Amino acid sequence: MLKLEHISKTYGNKNEKAVDDVSFEVHPGEIFGFVGPNGAGKTTTIKMIVSLLAPNSGKITINGIDNQKDILGAKKQFSYVPDTPELFEKIKGIEYLKFMADVFQVPIAERRERIEKYLDIFEIKNAVNDPIGSFSHGMKQKLALVGALIHDPQVFILDEPMVGLDPKASFELKKIMRDHCARGRSVFFSTHVLDVAEKICDRIAIIKKGKIIEVGTMAEIREKAGSQESLENIFLELTE
Amino acid sequence: MKEIISLTRLFINESLGVSLFFYNQKYNKKAFYKQLFTLIIVPVALIPAFFMYVSVMTATYIGLSMINQSTVFLSIGYILATVLIIVFGVMYILSEFYFSDNMEELIPLPISQRKLIVAKFFSILVFEYIFAGLIFIPILIIYGVGQGMGPLYVLLSVFVFLTIPVLPLSLVTGVIMLIMQSASLKGRKDMLQIVFVFLGIAVIFGVQIWFTSQLGNGDEVDFQLLMNMMLTSNEGFLNVIGYVMPTSFLMAWALNKITLMSVVWVGALLAITFLSGALMVAIGERVYIKSIVSGKMIKKGKQLNSAQRSKALGKKSHRAMAVFTMDLRLLLRTPVYFFNNVSVVIIAPLCVLLSFYFIEIPPEDLQGMQDFFREMPILINYLLIAFFIFFGGTSATTATTFSREGKASWLTRMIPVTASDQIVGRTGVALLIQSLGIVFTIIAIQFFFPLALSTLVLTVILGIMGSLPILLFGLFMDMNRPLLNWDNPQKAIKNNMNVVITLFVGMAYTGLLVGVCGLLGYFVNPFLGYGLFMLISFGISIVFYKVISNRLEVEFLNFES
Repeated sequence: MLKLEHISKTYGNKNEKAVDDVSFEVHPGEIFGFVGPNGAGKTTTIKMIVSLLAPNSGKITINGIDNQKDILGAKKQFSYVPDTPELFEKIKGIEYLKFMADVFQVPIAERRERIEKYLDIFEIKNAVNDPIGSFSHGMKQKLALVGALIHDPQVFILDEPMVGLDPKASFELKKIMRDHCARGRSVFFSTHVLDVAEKICDRIAIIKKGKIIEVGTMAEIREKAGSQESLENIFLELTE
Repeated sequence: MKEIISLTRLFINESLGVSLFFYNQKYNKKAFYKQLFTLIIVPVALIPAFFMYVSVMTATYIGLSMINQSTVFLSIGYILATVLIIVFGVMYILSEFYFSDNMEELIPLPISQRKLIVAKFFSILVFEYIFAGLIFIPILIIYGVGQGMGPLYVLLSVFVFLTIPVLPLSLVTGVIMLIMQSASLKGRKDMLQIVFVFLGIAVIFGVQIWFTSQLGNGDEVDFQLLMNMMLTSNEGFLNVIGYVMPTSFLMAWALNKITLMSVVWVGALLAITFLSGALMVAIGERVYIKSIVSGKMIKKGKQLNSAQRSKALGKKSHRAMAVFTMDLRLLLRTPVYFFNNVSVVIIAPLCVLLSFYFIEIPPEDLQGMQDFFREMPILINYLLIAFFIFFGGTSATTATTFSREGKASWLTRMIPVTASDQIVGRTGVALLIQSLGIVFTIIAIQFFFPLALSTLVLTVILGIMGSLPILLFGLFMDMNRPLLNWDNPQKAIKNNMNVVITLFVGMAYTGLLVGVCGLLGYFVNPFLGYGLFMLISFGISIVFYKVISNRLEVEFLNFES
């Protein structure tokens, strides 16, 4: 569903790689967690997946489409919610949702049904006619999530999705992620909340200083680490 | 004081992006050279204008000396500097005090309100001193040299100069703080900003109309006579403004002739300046933070029920239409964008209308002009075409289209919208604004100069076609060098070189196109001229369209690198 092959990225200083030869694959029906310390390269990797940054080398395919050869085709396969969703402040919530539905060409009946459903779940029905500038951080996050779910993407990509969400919204999001995968689609998300990653992810990749240092199921990671401890302990050992 | 200085440095650093400049020097050479280019090209571009200003002022001084009125020269300069500081300062004050995001981080810190207000004010003053220096220092030098003044004049001039931006800015800041407090509480901040800007324009426009009406009925007017009238008339311009700005009298008494009393008058000027600053701080301490906190309360919409939400979601729109609607909404709802991109289509036709209205053209002259243009239709056609292109070229709508989205541009780059749809949607907004300007202009002209339908159709089509290459060039520029990293929307326009480059290139292109095609039409065949005009406009538009279509997706990937 999502495949990264030998992806590398450098910014200004060519000798320092923000992402260094990263490869992994997210399978259909899988929740894939992406964990690592601050500055490890999580967001850069995600930005390359969602076509906000170009890798210096390597190949990314989303649902079989190369995101460098057919950028537009690849964009239709996923939706993305960044860690701090900067949205158009002067636009009303409902106008933003209509915009998202239009650009993904979601049929009328489906957009209405999905928007009603997710507005209900995230409890922002009453605020949806307000300008986004009046929303709190959490509400913006919720609106961005609703906008991302409108077209029922093949791959749902989230950068630190739990940050800013209240406990109920966090719980609902996890449920949505599971439901999404149950229908054969995939979820790829980065997080610092290792407890969440351990509980809901089918597989996890750990990135440190731009390099993937571990990929696998929790059982596989435990086995490789030779420890039965929590992901948190293993993570701390691996990233020290 | 240490805290105030360090805060002032922080605000200046933030607004100029000094730290980012040095960071880019080390880590992002491409961005660094872009900034360096801007840093060099803007002052260099202003040099001719500055020398022209100095020449005009020198000529004014000589003219005034010839009628023994050289003493009012300093007053003219003082009033000019003060008016310009107020007009341009309003946007800086609003921007620094109300539209900058840094207050959210600073309010929770243990810094007194007074220090925050003073530091913010100082950060504005630094820029205004540079501006005031360019306007007023040449005046002081011209007068001082002309009158053979000595060292005491220089010393007192320095003190007078120090007071120049403080007094008007502190008073305007105080007034803005009071108005913004009540406006913020009602969630009308955006609307108020538009009102402020239009009020500023109204003042400038009012002064121009006043001048125009003083010029009389179109006879040649002697400059010296006009100055004489302005200075001696009881209701003269300088007297009127002098009463509004009494400090101009203090300044004049102090510097026109250096005596012992000059020191007293400068002392009085300094005292009044200090008091105005203190008044502003006192007002700020009572209302500023309160209005900032409540200013975040944006006016909310009505709650919608399920049926209303369904209706609001509307019909399925084409992707280009979705881009168009979003871009237009952002443009209309963000005051800075509205003013810079949309207001020109209201102001320019209004200027046309009022110019006709205030310059009383005798009926026989008007008839003569109409006859002349009837005999020379090609002239009026190309004049109108150039005017219609002006709306496209000056609005900078496409030249800032991605920059205006700032940090939210990730959305534009992430959605599956083809480059063609992006071009159509974004250029469509610019064309809509231009069309409004055209319609308003036609309405304004029709009052005084009824035009044939064929003239209107021809000029509108060619005007829109002629502006398309400029609009697409603007889009091309913003695609290549968008300004996304800003903390208040004013920077997306004011700090954006794409606007200036598109404006200059657009003006040069329009002049060349209209000139060449007009001459061809006049000397060879009018239809050949129009044909060539359409061919060139169409050809360049196609080239830009193709280049943008091919490059946009790839350039989106470079927006953050």
